[in-house]
Amino acid sequence: MSANQPSQIRPAGPNYQGLRWGFVIFFLLVQFGLIGYGIRGIIPETEIREVDAYSPWSDEVVEIASAIPVQDGGRIKPLATYARFKMLSFHGALTMKVKSGGTVHKIGPVQWYLDCMFRPELVDDLPIFRLDDSDILKPFNIETKKRRARLSYNDIKNGGTADQDGFQQLINRGRELLEKQEAQGKESLSPNEQKTIEFAQLTLNYIGVRDSLDIIRGGLPEIDVSQLAYVDKDYLALLDNADKRSRFFYWLPVLEGVVRSTSRLETPEARQFEYELNRQATFAKYGPVLVPPQSKDDEEWINLGTGVEQFLQGRLADATIFFEDFRVLSELANAAKNPNSPDFLDKLTAWKKDMSYRAEVREEGEKIDTEVSYYNQSYFIRGLIFFILTFLISALGWIVRDGKGGRVIQWITASVFIIGVLYVLAGIIHRYIITGRPPVSNLYDTIPFITAGAVIVLGVAEFLTRRRILLSIGAALGVIGLFFAFRFELGDAKDNMDPLRAVLDSNYWLATHVVTITIGYSGGLIACFLSMTYVFLALAGVMKDPKAFHRFMTRTVYGITCFTLLFSLVGTVLGGIWANDSWGRFWGWDPKENGALLIVLWTLIILHSRLAGWMNGWGLHLMSILGGSVVVFSWWGVNMLEVGLHSYGFIEGASTVYYFYGATLVAFFVGVVAWIIENAQKAAKKASKTSPALSSEISKS
Amino acid sequence: MSDSKNKPRPSLGARIFRILSGYEIAVTCLSLLFLLTFFGTIEQKWFGLWATIHKYFDIESLYVIPTLGNGKPIFFPLPGAYWVIVVLGINMLCGAIIRARKGWKKFGVLLSHCSILFMLVAGAVSSVSKQEGHMRVLQGEKSDYAQKLFTHDIEIFKYGENGDREAPAIVRSEHIKGLGPDDQINATFEKFDFTLQVDSYLPVSALAGASPSNPAPNGIEVVDGFYIQEVEKDIKEEERNMPGCYATVKDKDGNPIQRLVLWAGNPYPVSFTHEGARYGVTYLMEVWPMPFVVDLHKTLGEYHPGTRIPRWFQSNITKVDGSSREDYEIVMNEPARHDGYTLYQAGYTAAAEGETPSSTFAIVNNPSDKWPEYALYASTVGLLIHFLVMLGRFAGSSRPKKSPTIESSAS
Repeated sequence: MSANQPSQIRPAGPNYQGLRWGFVIFFLLVQFGLIGYGIRGIIPETEIREVDAYSPWSDEVVEIASAIPVQDGGRIKPLATYARFKMLSFHGALTMKVKSGGTVHKIGPVQWYLDCMFRPELVDDLPIFRLDDSDILKPFNIETKKRRARLSYNDIKNGGTADQDGFQQLINRGRELLEKQEAQGKESLSPNEQKTIEFAQLTLNYIGVRDSLDIIRGGLPEIDVSQLAYVDKDYLALLDNADKRSRFFYWLPVLEGVVRSTSRLETPEARQFEYELNRQATFAKYGPVLVPPQSKDDEEWINLGTGVEQFLQGRLADATIFFEDFRVLSELANAAKNPNSPDFLDKLTAWKKDMSYRAEVREEGEKIDTEVSYYNQSYFIRGLIFFILTFLISALGWIVRDGKGGRVIQWITASVFIIGVLYVLAGIIHRYIITGRPPVSNLYDTIPFITAGAVIVLGVAEFLTRRRILLSIGAALGVIGLFFAFRFELGDAKDNMDPLRAVLDSNYWLATHVVTITIGYSGGLIACFLSMTYVFLALAGVMKDPKAFHRFMTRTVYGITCFTLLFSLVGTVLGGIWANDSWGRFWGWDPKENGALLIVLWTLIILHSRLAGWMNGWGLHLMSILGGSVVVFSWWGVNMLEVGLHSYGFIEGASTVYYFYGATLVAFFVGVVAWIIENAQKAAKKASKTSPALSSEISKS
Repeated sequence: MSDSKNKPRPSLGARIFRILSGYEIAVTCLSLLFLLTFFGTIEQKWFGLWATIHKYFDIESLYVIPTLGNGKPIFFPLPGAYWVIVVLGINMLCGAIIRARKGWKKFGVLLSHCSILFMLVAGAVSSVSKQEGHMRVLQGEKSDYAQKLFTHDIEIFKYGENGDREAPAIVRSEHIKGLGPDDQINATFEKFDFTLQVDSYLPVSALAGASPSNPAPNGIEVVDGFYIQEVEKDIKEEERNMPGCYATVKDKDGNPIQRLVLWAGNPYPVSFTHEGARYGVTYLMEVWPMPFVVDLHKTLGEYHPGTRIPRWFQSNITKVDGSSREDYEIVMNEPARHDGYTLYQAGYTAAAEGETPSSTFAIVNNPSDKWPEYALYASTVGLLIHFLVMLGRFAGSSRPKKSPTIESSAS
């Protein structure tokens, strides 16, 4: 190096390169450790279960069943969506794998729900229950290989003792604990006891799903029809074989007489028959709401249990229509004994067509097909894949920067990034088409929307500045956001397209307040990630021109902080105006309102400190890293407090939030270390300038 | 140096103004407000919304000590948020409006500060003069008064010959709510020749019945088989916290006529007789007379099918103000505003069989009702102007001429 090329010379004084890399590696390990631990905590072990008798449903059956209309959560939705969230509530995932005859079969929500409807004998062997802590089942002699596991109903039932199986023991213990909770409060229970209650409740819910269509599957015990004194003899003569007598449907027209008759009989078989009749009718009330109401003015569809009840109460306008629906479903269940037979397929198709037509006449269920298509498209998963690709290609671009190769990589990176963005936008727009609501109307919606906002802002910033780094950060944010959306849906297990309660059902306010405030969240998170990137790169010392890079990143983060302030402030005040229109007060210090205010205050502290000259670039980056935690506290943290008027957004145990707080703290300390090193370097440089002798020594060396 | 030495020392007023308008105060207030809002949020988990608001944000709160759920302090004492906001407002007025440089380049900042200040003023006006209450009306009926959820008055009235209540005399809540358990007040009335001594006030209480099998706890006074006792405060729903007290009716010579137990959750009057006349005493939510009558024609509502999630509810009313009549449809998020009063649909009760549906309206009288909205428009315009100018500058100067900024460590 010659004295004529001063710009190429590293600053005089120690460069701490070894120390820098030591810190970078240490902090990266801590970061990845935190994230890895967080992810490990939410993904249970999976294993392929051997279920010899299992045969898969054909694709055609699954496709037809997917689009059968069902009423649930206040709207008409496809069976595929209903099954999706039912399965998630038990399984925490959308597929399970079983092996039969040496072949591995992937079972999705529709396949699993079809099994529940028509093949309950198989369902009990499927590993449907997700268990996060096997300790809670040890008292019932239910063993698992690992702490996190998937269990079948039979795994639970096979536990216990000779006197009482594992399922019964679990339910009894759950009841005891529930009584204790009611008497002494939730605080009196240990975490494991609370989990036991939840797991017992889950198994009961499973029984409800599995047995809800027993009513169409037969299974009534044999009874001596001659003893049924209050039933028309001619009708009884029609029940000339055991199969008919085992089916609820054949008893339906004379149900009242049957009940009157059996209640007067003392024989065990009469008791057993009465019990089973009652059990099937009761469980049917928990079944899928499959049948449209008979009156056009009535909006509530019915399930078979409700239909039976309404028939007995004389509330059905035309009982023959209900009988016919019941008959078709009973025959469908009968045909399902041969699952992929043409007969079953024809009957399933006919049922689907009939229900779809009746829904159409009522001007309902118009969006069934597009909703099935929405879930089949998996927009956000595809977007996630493209963002991963963007990140990898852009990383390649850091190595191959110049020449034709560099330009080609740049173009590929931009193209793949744009495809990722388009997938996210397509998903958001498709949701809008289905729900007819603005893009953000519940907690789930905020995730893809904030992700979209962040990647678009960073994409535009990259276009304006052409520094390459912003696209990489955008891709990383896209990956994190969409992965989180995926995990949240699995963990929450609630249909996030269900209609809103009255106070929220305002497209004007959803489109203004909610959209604005979530754009503000995007801004805060972008600034946080930019600053995180900056401090890691600064610590690694990989910038060719550290001053220019520092200036660029500082100005970008400052600009995005202004962006965050604008949207957070406007969004917060709009929220106040909405609250004033809904509840008659502008500001109530409710946690959700406070969360939004915290972001506004944080950005104001940053901007005013900088204006006063008290905060240099490093201060700005450190503050904006902590600002990420402020945003996450506002976005998720306040919902975990479970207080306030914004009760529709409560969540429990979102431990990922704590890992994020931890990650920002780690990045903050990385920043502090990098800052200290830079200051030490500057001090050494200054010292060398003031000491010419020392300076010449360094030049010579 | 000599110039600065010769400069006349600024006056005391100028120095105070400089301090008041400085960034030091601005950043300190913003930081304090951040901490107060943060602690005032997380404490709600343990102490509920109302208690925490009172602790952190009320005008009476001069300082606060943030605590955990078990009451252990977790931070230094902080000044009360209300007073921090007052200082911030003064700072904004002095620094960002009076002292700030004026010019078209600074127009956006100036406008946004003015509007935020206006919003703070709106908050101050609201906190001083806002009144709110609830009015429940059955379909087909009328009402000309609301009730305030959190203040309770004692009303004493005479029964007429046909059992109707005559106009009451009132002991206002502000005279009662400050009493300790051992304090007492004596209320005199122009229209009655007896006095009422109120004592043993409990801000959160329950009414209980005493019987031989279930006697009152030791030391608690039982009146006509009933007594009040202190209960744990409901931290989630403040309106569930019912005050109670004992009262003694005394004649003009101070001789006791009747001992009464009064509890705010009891809708029925407690009665006594004095000189042949019958009187009733109630301890109920403060009555707020309206200058108009609400005539509820129809209350409508729906749940999403198959659920108990409300889809919409609506009230069709006529507001009768003297000779003027105006029809309104009040729905969620669309209140009726008229002459300073705003009526919100706060609740709806569907008719059970044989019953009449009803609507509950939240009624607010707030002079600064729409001010935040006006402030929002102004601040949005101001911030947009300012930040767009900054964005233009940033975009113009951030493109690198040639070389990119990062190189791999290998290169």
